[in-house]
Amino acid sequence: MGVITEEARRWANREYPRFEMRVTATDIARFARATGETNPIYFDPAAAKAAGHPDVVAPTLFPYVIRMHASTLVPADQLEPDGSPSADVPPLPTRRAMAGETRVELGAPVVAGDVVSVEKRLADMYEKEGRSGPLVFVEMEFTFTNQRGEMVARENFTRIYR
Amino acid sequence: MTALPHVGEEAPVQLRAPTALDLFMFSASAWLLHRIHYDTPFTIEHEGHPGLLIHGPLQGVFLVQIAESWLGDRARLTSISYRHLAPAYLGDELTCGGKVVGSDDDGIDMELWARKPDGTVTTTGMARFIRRW
Repeated sequence: MGVITEEARRWANREYPRFEMRVTATDIARFARATGETNPIYFDPAAAKAAGHPDVVAPTLFPYVIRMHASTLVPADQLEPDGSPSADVPPLPTRRAMAGETRVELGAPVVAGDVVSVEKRLADMYEKEGRSGPLVFVEMEFTFTNQRGEMVARENFTRIYR
Repeated sequence: MTALPHVGEEAPVQLRAPTALDLFMFSASAWLLHRIHYDTPFTIEHEGHPGLLIHGPLQGVFLVQIAESWLGDRARLTSISYRHLAPAYLGDELTCGGKVVGSDDDGIDMELWARKPDGTVTTTGMARFIRRW
């Protein structure tokens, strides 16, 4: 039995407003500390310059931080009871969410001072029968571009609703 | 030409056992508001988990770190895909490892994983690294 209703299906291909993040050295240092990085290129402009970067550089998966802000930096009344951004959650009877699969292609590194824009689209939605009932997979596609028009990253992220 | 590891070689494993503080810092740094990573009563009572979940994306970072700390400046990550096969909870100690599974003139492909002491793989991935000349 399908749980993806016609109403939910209409969310397929939904496009979201473009989001821009002006990335500061503090944003980079915060993520680097949170993930246990110790390389000074993430914290010290002199070390980053010695390594050939114009300023402190972000850890490889930093684009994740940018796309999370794109989704969740919204007024509190636009969040679900579990803290998920309502705009990302199609009307499904399955409401409990977990991370599924991620595919990331990386281009230009993110450096402090960059303005990175994210374009986002709901790329796919499908269901499977799990051990404890139906699972709905919702795949989001993100394209990250910096202020010079360079591709920073492309990411496809699937969330599983059970 | 910079030498890269050969097919079959394995990166040294890293043990990662994030604390509640680590989980909170990761959520805060990304403005990730999902309560299953910091609100224990909600996670148990409403979501049916035994405890707080270690973020999938944080495990993705662990996989990248395994490879990057091994390869250093020799190669640059150009693509990675990873899947979460089983939940990892606060208190779980994850053994993170990686192995070279492909090699060509431009770089290497690595299989990466995080697993619990009982052998359950929580996250598995494949990454492509391009040689820095």
